[in-house]
Amino acid sequence: MAEGDAGEDQRAEVMRGGWAEAAAWLRRRAENIAAGMLAVMFVAFVLQIVFRYFLNFPVGWTSELTVVLWLWLVLWGAAFVVRESEEIRFDLLTASVGRRARIAMGILVALALVVLYGASLKASFDYVTFMKVEKSSYLKIRMDWLFSIYLVFLIAVIVRYVRLLWHLVRGRDPGAADLTKASSGL
Amino acid sequence: MSAAFAYALAAIIALSLLGLPVGHAMIAGSILYLHVKGLDMGTAAEQLLNGMYTSYVLLAIPLFILAAEFMNSGSIMDRLLRFCNALVGRFRGGLAQVNVLQSIVFASMSGSALADAAGSGKIMQTLMTRDGKYTAAFAAALTAASSVIGPIIPPSIPLVLYALVSDTSIGFLFLAGVVPGILLGLVQMGLIAVTAKRRNFPVEERVPLRELPRITREAFPALMMPVILLGCLYSGITTPTEAAAAAAAYALLISAFLYRSLSWGDIYQSLARSARITISIGMLIAGALVFNYVVTAENIPKTLAAFLKAYELSPIAFLVVVNLLLLALGCFLEGTTILLIIIPVLLPTAQALGIDPVHFGVMAVMNIMIGLVTPPYGLLLFMMVKIAEVPLNAIVREVLPFLAVMIAALALITFVPDLVLFLPRLLGYKG
Repeated sequence: MAEGDAGEDQRAEVMRGGWAEAAAWLRRRAENIAAGMLAVMFVAFVLQIVFRYFLNFPVGWTSELTVVLWLWLVLWGAAFVVRESEEIRFDLLTASVGRRARIAMGILVALALVVLYGASLKASFDYVTFMKVEKSSYLKIRMDWLFSIYLVFLIAVIVRYVRLLWHLVRGRDPGAADLTKASSGL
Repeated sequence: MSAAFAYALAAIIALSLLGLPVGHAMIAGSILYLHVKGLDMGTAAEQLLNGMYTSYVLLAIPLFILAAEFMNSGSIMDRLLRFCNALVGRFRGGLAQVNVLQSIVFASMSGSALADAAGSGKIMQTLMTRDGKYTAAFAAALTAASSVIGPIIPPSIPLVLYALVSDTSIGFLFLAGVVPGILLGLVQMGLIAVTAKRRNFPVEERVPLRELPRITREAFPALMMPVILLGCLYSGITTPTEAAAAAAAYALLISAFLYRSLSWGDIYQSLARSARITISIGMLIAGALVFNYVVTAENIPKTLAAFLKAYELSPIAFLVVVNLLLLALGCFLEGTTILLIIIPVLLPTAQALGIDPVHFGVMAVMNIMIGLVTPPYGLLLFMMVKIAEVPLNAIVREVLPFLAVMIAALALITFVPDLVLFLPRLLGYKG
């Protein structure tokens, strides 16, 4: 996992003015929600164990709730909480090249992602809306609602990479991940 | 293998080499595959959503992460380290021995090597280098090596991932990890004992035996955590996922109420940190779910199995090849990616050769975890560079002997499956 402070510095630079403050505020709220989802998941599991083994009263809705939360936590988080610098990636190459090469690589990658995710948007929307015919087994929630988080995720990632692309085209170095410091010994 | 698959594979490799997060690279590459093949691109959404929605067993991962976060409070660590010190601190190279022992103890509470290095490993680094007792490079190399034990001894996040891709029981996999994990600890302790004489490592102040009961009593509730976890699992009281939740609940109870070392703020921080780690691993799983659909659609695992069968490889030869392949891949690829993408491709061949899936899984996980300390791309090494503030090449030089004994242990595990399997068999595994 590449979790780095490199992104921090870069962000401090990028984030100036009220617009940036608002974005930072939103990101913190997004993290609150992610932590909240994990907390609810944990409590639901504990309830499930207590109900089944101590009260002899098995409940099904908890396992459905937890699995929905797992799906939402990952996609919500990938859309709004985790920064590019925190995601698991292979950064040996980006860390070892110069600034210009890194910007060029960044542009290529962001462009590819925006194009491919964008191309799948329509079909993904069709799949998710098609799922309205099904309902979840315990909570009876329409599946298109449960799966709608995927569309949120897709659109948020596209928007993020368009923004990244904009910064890159204007010549802002994406910053090497933590490995610049680390690989100095090699 | 179709041209579309070649494009997809090339795209995934190129995009991740150029710095795209691996999860996104796998999803994007799979979308490219669907497009070139003229298939419905909504299949990516379908595979991801249904895969995540139906893999109930994966819920154990966030819960194990959470449990380890709850246990990571200062007060619990102090008690456990005092306990380890009372047991092995008296020997030559005492603190180095404590480092290995604490890794075994913390391994039974957490499922991730990186978490162990960042948590108790960081404290050990400080303790070992204080007053110049050990060089920072040796301490860092040892902490990296001993953290490898974390995900071998249950609970183990990599073994949960393996259970997912191989359809093997988590319970038996966890049991199977116990002996290899302890074996890793023993070879490291042996190496330290030999090195300690040669390099004249310091001895810690002897803790009088009469104090042992008190020190044990203080650490006892924390030491009970693996008992709770495994007890829930093997008594059949709970499912593996519920056992993870029970472990997290127990960890919360003792650290918040018994030891009073967690405030509300700390609990929130634990939740937020666990959520972030969950999201990172989750995205990788999501990408792998989509890409594995492509791999299966292309019939890659079966083709490979048929191909290898033509060579009439013996099971042992196959295992040796797999080990060499994984060690090589581990130098360049992140462990979770190997587990989710490469292992499913190799599994059908292993099965066709009659290799036990539990044995294969533990061996593969042990190999991949050793990959975390293999230069040039060893995440544990990078982490220790950050924590210990020593250059990578200094750590690499000190880690090589540890790497050698760990690979020897891996070879032993590979050639003697009974070492892995006798414990699960004792508890009813039929394999």
